[in-house]
Amino acid sequence: MPHQYDLKTYSKPENMQQAVELLSKSGNSARVIAGGTDILPRRQGTVKFGNIKNLIDISEVGLNYIKKSKNDIRIGAATDINTIATEVLFNSNPYQALIEAALAHSTHTIRNQATIGGNLCNASPCADLALPLLALSASLVIKGVKREYSVTADSFFKGPGCTILLPDEILKEIIIPLPGENSGTSFIKLRRHQTDVDMAIVNVATSLSLNGNNCMNAVIALGAVGPTPFLAGKSAAVLSGRDLNEKWIEKAAVTAAGETAPINDSRATAEYRREMVSVLVRNSLEKSLQRSRR
Amino acid sequence: MRKKIIKVNINGEWHELAVSLHDRLIDTLREQCGLTGTKEGCGEGECGACTVNLNGKAFLACLLLSVQVDGAQILTIEGLQNGLDLHPLQRAFLSESAVQCGYCTPGMIMAGHALIQQNPDPDEAAVKQSLSNNLCRCTGYEKPVKAVLKAAVEIKGKADE
Repeated sequence: MPHQYDLKTYSKPENMQQAVELLSKSGNSARVIAGGTDILPRRQGTVKFGNIKNLIDISEVGLNYIKKSKNDIRIGAATDINTIATEVLFNSNPYQALIEAALAHSTHTIRNQATIGGNLCNASPCADLALPLLALSASLVIKGVKREYSVTADSFFKGPGCTILLPDEILKEIIIPLPGENSGTSFIKLRRHQTDVDMAIVNVATSLSLNGNNCMNAVIALGAVGPTPFLAGKSAAVLSGRDLNEKWIEKAAVTAAGETAPINDSRATAEYRREMVSVLVRNSLEKSLQRSRR
Repeated sequence: MRKKIIKVNINGEWHELAVSLHDRLIDTLREQCGLTGTKEGCGEGECGACTVNLNGKAFLACLLLSVQVDGAQILTIEGLQNGLDLHPLQRAFLSESAVQCGYCTPGMIMAGHALIQQNPDPDEAAVKQSLSNNLCRCTGYEKPVKAVLKAAVEIKGKADE
């Protein structure tokens, strides 16, 4: 078979410390994998990761878990996406965006292998799982050889395929704070319908927290309409403190489209994407609103 | 060529195999083990013709490196039948005429098999979700979906006896 890598080593460390130490020794030629779904499917002729010589497989370092504590829910970075989609802890209104994004990600078969950490670290501008995590104000725990620290999900992405991870660092876990009462989230993905496997033309996640009908907190996350998944801050600010109704939701939806910088590609034109951002943000906010009232 | 020894259980038997680091599971199954029932279609994870069961779940053999499955239990289409007796899924694909050219069939059956293992009483939506990674370019999906449902009923009936 035509292989695309000239791999020198493949290692399966037993714990995180081993993993980061291996990584720090291998420099730029190493790549961390968990499920590995993103390293193999490369069309002939495209050499996106041509310099990979060493694979470090973190599927057995103990990062496959979902744990609830008093203050938060923690997801290990190597947790596969089907596990998240079927997790009972997320089966309530505040977490619907996460379930919806997990179920919209690729296909049922690939989700057995693909992991949430991989989806984030690949840093695709349309990474499905990034959006609910942004909407839920998640933070990410990063481990290097000498230190472990956390950042907001919002500050993790730097550009297409590019994150803040340093060469010796691995994404360890995702922390989702517990939601307040009366909060609801939703995720919507627009894609061509011929196949489940396709990536988003636009994807959107929103989160609303209410006090009565008054919006205590609104978060709007947009994907595939900029170099990274990002928060539409101006759009969310339209809703904060308002008594929510159609008028404000429409205004937020229009504002969101103005915060995007989409491109033309084989999936859609920039103009279409911008139009669809408004539609998706409106629909998603309406769903989140319904859910936060329940 | 760098080789690594892996131990895998394929269709009930443990094997020690020397694989190259860049070998995908589908290469090892087809070229080293002679198990050509697992097909390569797109090689990019989209078509599902290479679906196998790995520790009871459906996986794509073109998206896995063989070194990743060291220690795993793998079931391929060849491991389903018992001697000359076809598996209920294989029989259902025949009786429902769910096969046209047949290239996608092993993948569809293995996706159906993983589903029935996890959910012995699947509804149509569950079957469609489980087969959503399996493309058929000849005819369609109605008959494969019916076949999986039919097999599930038969398997559950036997288990309940």
